[in-house]
Amino acid sequence: MCGIAGLHLKDDTYRDRLGAMVAGMLRGVAERGPDSAGVAIHSDGLEVLKAVGDPLAFAARIGLATRSGVRALAHTRMATESAVTAAHCHPFAVRPPEPARGTAAGQASAAAATPVDTRLCLVHNGSFANHASIRRRLADEGVTTETDNDSEVAARYLAARLAAGDDLAAALRRLTATFDGFFTLAVTTADSFAVVRDPIACKPAIIAETDRWVAMVSEYRALLGLPGLADAAVFEPEPEEVYLWAS
Amino acid sequence: MGKLTGAVRGTDTADTADTADTATAGAAAGDGAAGGEPGELVLDLAEMPTRQVNAALRALPDGARARLVNPAGRHNLAVGLSRAVRVTVAGPAGYYVGGLGEAAEVTVDGPVGWGAGENLMSGTVRVRGAASQSAAASAHGGLVVVEGDASLRAGISLKGGRLAVAGDVGRYCAFLAQAGTILVGGDAGDALGDSLYEAVIYVAGRVRGLGTDARISDLTDADVAAVRALAAQAGFDHVDPENVTRVASARQLYHFDTAHHGAY
Repeated sequence: MCGIAGLHLKDDTYRDRLGAMVAGMLRGVAERGPDSAGVAIHSDGLEVLKAVGDPLAFAARIGLATRSGVRALAHTRMATESAVTAAHCHPFAVRPPEPARGTAAGQASAAAATPVDTRLCLVHNGSFANHASIRRRLADEGVTTETDNDSEVAARYLAARLAAGDDLAAALRRLTATFDGFFTLAVTTADSFAVVRDPIACKPAIIAETDRWVAMVSEYRALLGLPGLADAAVFEPEPEEVYLWAS
Repeated sequence: MGKLTGAVRGTDTADTADTADTATAGAAAGDGAAGGEPGELVLDLAEMPTRQVNAALRALPDGARARLVNPAGRHNLAVGLSRAVRVTVAGPAGYYVGGLGEAAEVTVDGPVGWGAGENLMSGTVRVRGAASQSAAASAHGGLVVVEGDASLRAGISLKGGRLAVAGDVGRYCAFLAQAGTILVGGDAGDALGDSLYEAVIYVAGRVRGLGTDARISDLTDADVAAVRALAAQAGFDHVDPENVTRVASARQLYHFDTAHHGAY
């Protein structure tokens, strides 16, 4: 299963409430993923926090509701294809590889000291059937993974495509043509938020959008409590279509 | 136990209780002061687990009414009801609302998640909002009405029930549907009726694309009558029964065809 949530603020109105909004969304998808939880919060920099165990306890422990920011991802995991460890938790945060050196530069542990954190963050609900083949192809290009998790391969792939010159929408379209399996993906970068689903759209996704924010969640109940939801445009993203918002 | 307010007048819950853990004992002591109509059992989901709610509903006698408040998108509400009760879910519901029901009338005042009215046997599930994937999946009988749009795979594997969607339906509507009727008041997405058996689909709007073995066929007087009756029961006044597209199986996938043996 797994639960995913993403929130992108279009202006500063809710900047100080981003954490509280995401905490409510995480609570709404907590039942979908009891194994581990994680969040990525884009503020002045990027902070990625994740841990094995109960998502609600995790959110309380990190003080999620008190955090501010402009964009965030959240994930609750029900592991189906690789181990339940901190390293296997989502979001996967990956720095685009340096094309000149051709080496993987993604180290998800430390926040960057530079003003703009170039890491791409990804959360995934589903499973990829051909991640091993793609992992080998990426390795041939000098892009290595840190875990045997299928979702990490998607994050590495996207980061490699961005480094190769694709924009995020193009990279996601290429992903849908390359990766075989079930997926609803939510992706953030320093300036963008994107959602894409596989051609069958086996995994759920609901988007709600207002003038001030856009939110994507696995289940409607995770939207409850968001300010202005009653006036939001609520829809399910079409299969294979890339939805992208940039600041 | 959870908060149970309101009472069903003139009923004997002890006589009708069919489960050992039924929670209706608290209902008899209520006074109907929680927003329900007179004679309506009000169950506050903010204070009750789902199994307790459903046990209370299953214990109600024919003709009883109940209102579920604070549903907050919770899954599996009002499932497996087997008596002619009327249940209103006052807000958004999650997956499988009203599923497996017989004779009951379940109304949701809000959007619903996957599988609304799945495996319905008889009775009605009415959604006063949009429905997510697989509305009325495998419904054997009864009627599922979606007053908004329904997303992918609406009516998948329908087995004799009826599904009426006022708005649009997403891709793969009626996939593998075996029997029953689907009325789409708006447009239908790609792959409509893919691998269809004997269910029939009527679309008032545009058909974006047909699935494998689905074909558009002539509308007969019997079809017009069926659409008129279904639209009336669903409360759709925007559907012209004489101006719908009928989609049924081309029946080319029913049998092995020796002319195609090379493909196997």
